[in-house]
Amino acid sequence: MIQFENVSKVYEHNGKELRAVDGVDISIEKGEIFGVIGFSGAGKSTLVRLVNLLEQPSGGNILVEEDDLSRLSKPGLRKMRKRIGMIFQHFNLLESKTVLHNVAFPLIISGTPKKKIKARVEEVLDFVGLSDKAHQYPEELSGGQKQRVGIARALVTSPDILLCDEATSALDPETTKSILQLLKRVRDEYNLTILMITHEMNAVREVCDRVAVMENGQVIEQGSIFELFSNPQHPTTKNFIQSVMESDIPPSILSGIEERGGGRHVYRVTFVREKAAQPIFSQVAKNYQVEVNVLFGQITELQGIPFGQLVVELLGEDREIVRALDYIQRTVSVQEVEADAG
Amino acid sequence: MQVNLLEFWPKILQAINETLIMVGVSLVVAALIGIPLGIALVVTRHGGLLQNSAFFKGLSVVINFFRSIPFIILLVAILPLTRFLVGTSIGTAAAVVPLVLFSGPYIARLVESSLMEVKPGVVEAAEAMGASPWQIILRVYVPEALSSIVLNLTIATIGLVGASAMAGFVGGGGLGDLAIAYGYQRFETDIMIVTVLLLVLLVQIVQTLGNVLSKKMRRQ
Ligand SMILES: Nc1ncnc2c1ncn2[C@@H]1O[C@H](COP(=O)(O)OP(=O)(O)OP(=O)(O)O)[C@@H](O)[C@H]1O
Ligand SMILES: [Mg+2]
Repeated sequence: MIQFENVSKVYEHNGKELRAVDGVDISIEKGEIFGVIGFSGAGKSTLVRLVNLLEQPSGGNILVEEDDLSRLSKPGLRKMRKRIGMIFQHFNLLESKTVLHNVAFPLIISGTPKKKIKARVEEVLDFVGLSDKAHQYPEELSGGQKQRVGIARALVTSPDILLCDEATSALDPETTKSILQLLKRVRDEYNLTILMITHEMNAVREVCDRVAVMENGQVIEQGSIFELFSNPQHPTTKNFIQSVMESDIPPSILSGIEERGGGRHVYRVTFVREKAAQPIFSQVAKNYQVEVNVLFGQITELQGIPFGQLVVELLGEDREIVRALDYIQRTVSVQEVEADAG
Repeated sequence: MQVNLLEFWPKILQAINETLIMVGVSLVVAALIGIPLGIALVVTRHGGLLQNSAFFKGLSVVINFFRSIPFIILLVAILPLTRFLVGTSIGTAAAVVPLVLFSGPYIARLVESSLMEVKPGVVEAAEAMGASPWQIILRVYVPEALSSIVLNLTIATIGLVGASAMAGFVGGGGLGDLAIAYGYQRFETDIMIVTVLLLVLLVQIVQTLGNVLSKKMRRQ
């Protein structure tokens, strides 16, 4: 649906080059919620703005449903933009106009007949739960309500794609949650493709199917959210995951493992959903000559699904441990923990 | 003194009328020139909707040029132009020409500053929706800045009231002319006081109207 092929954006600043986006390859599927996470200045905003050509790429190709937007004429580009909705951190609503007018705006500029506009605006306002606020002005609304207006405005033209630049960053945690759920509903009911920019791992964890981690304009890691959470490679990724879940084994436990000397069998077991680890370990204890010692563990939620990690030590004879591991690996993911790794 | 004022009442009425015509006509014409120029300044500047640096710089220099000439000098300096445009260089109609040249560029700058207050994000949102530059000007910039534009036009109007008093100098008539002709030159102090009070009243009314209208424009 959206394809970045070796995309770069270079800004000139006082004769110096700044590579805000640097050789990015991302392929976003239809109906997917794709997250891009990164610290401030990583180039996330620049990346989304390249999709609807608010910024011109300096190199590479961006394809939106096979179309290269940079090859379109100006009217062609405007037509294409009507199929790409966008919402913003600071909502960017017209302060002088009512909610109704704000939501109607994209249709007004497309020359849609008044009657049609009214019906469609009522429909989307109902969808975002703001039917009763139609005649109020943005300054009379809370942040969450303003973002709902933003979403309604983005949806009113029935776009195929929704771009979100820090859509929840100005909102409190509760409101963030409700807006994220709304975005999920948007995807589920309209089958939209959503590209979501954020610096909050919580937002990613809540709704994204896949995620790319950006740093210094480059994508340093990307994959399904489960891949990233269970096996983050890059320190920055680990950092983000740590903001919602402790992925490193605490030092006291690590040193405990070290002290016990050679021949330890310590593993990190990652489990998802109904494949809870506990019953597996009781099975292991029953069927193999192995003792399971849980050193450290925690559980969080990814997209509302329980996701956990346990660091366990298996005690027993090597042969039995290999057999037990084989059994465990059939249901959950296992990695060996090196004493000095963590 | 009472007799004096009554005697002058028709003259005062006429002066009010002349002032209102001078200010009103100049304001309308100057706004018709200044508002588009103000918009042009915003959209052609670097990073604007219709970026055109050469045009922007040229326009900016021309506006600065007119803004730097003191009104009293402008008044005299363009007498030939005035004569060419309205056929005469004295009278109320003749005063309109320098008043327009004086306040048109001023309004352009005031409108520019009003438009610059429109949040770039809102403009960008409209761009992202596929709005054309014209649609963004007419449906985003102008409505969003309207309340501020009205307040700034109020300032320009009050400036015009002051300038129109000087325009009396070229026979434009009006309250200022009356105050100078009778109050200053003939020492009829009470006439001067009355005209000045009327000017004060006029400014108060204009400002109050401007405030009310500006507030209305915040929510359209
Ligand atoms: N118009 C511009 N001109 C020059 N440099 C720019 C421009 N826009 C962005 N940059 C630079 O590009 C880099 C990436 O900026 P960008 O806004 O994409 O970061 P971001 O990841 O969205 O950060 P944040 O989380 O703070 O929004 C920054 O170093 C920024 O200073
Ligand atoms: Mg940003």
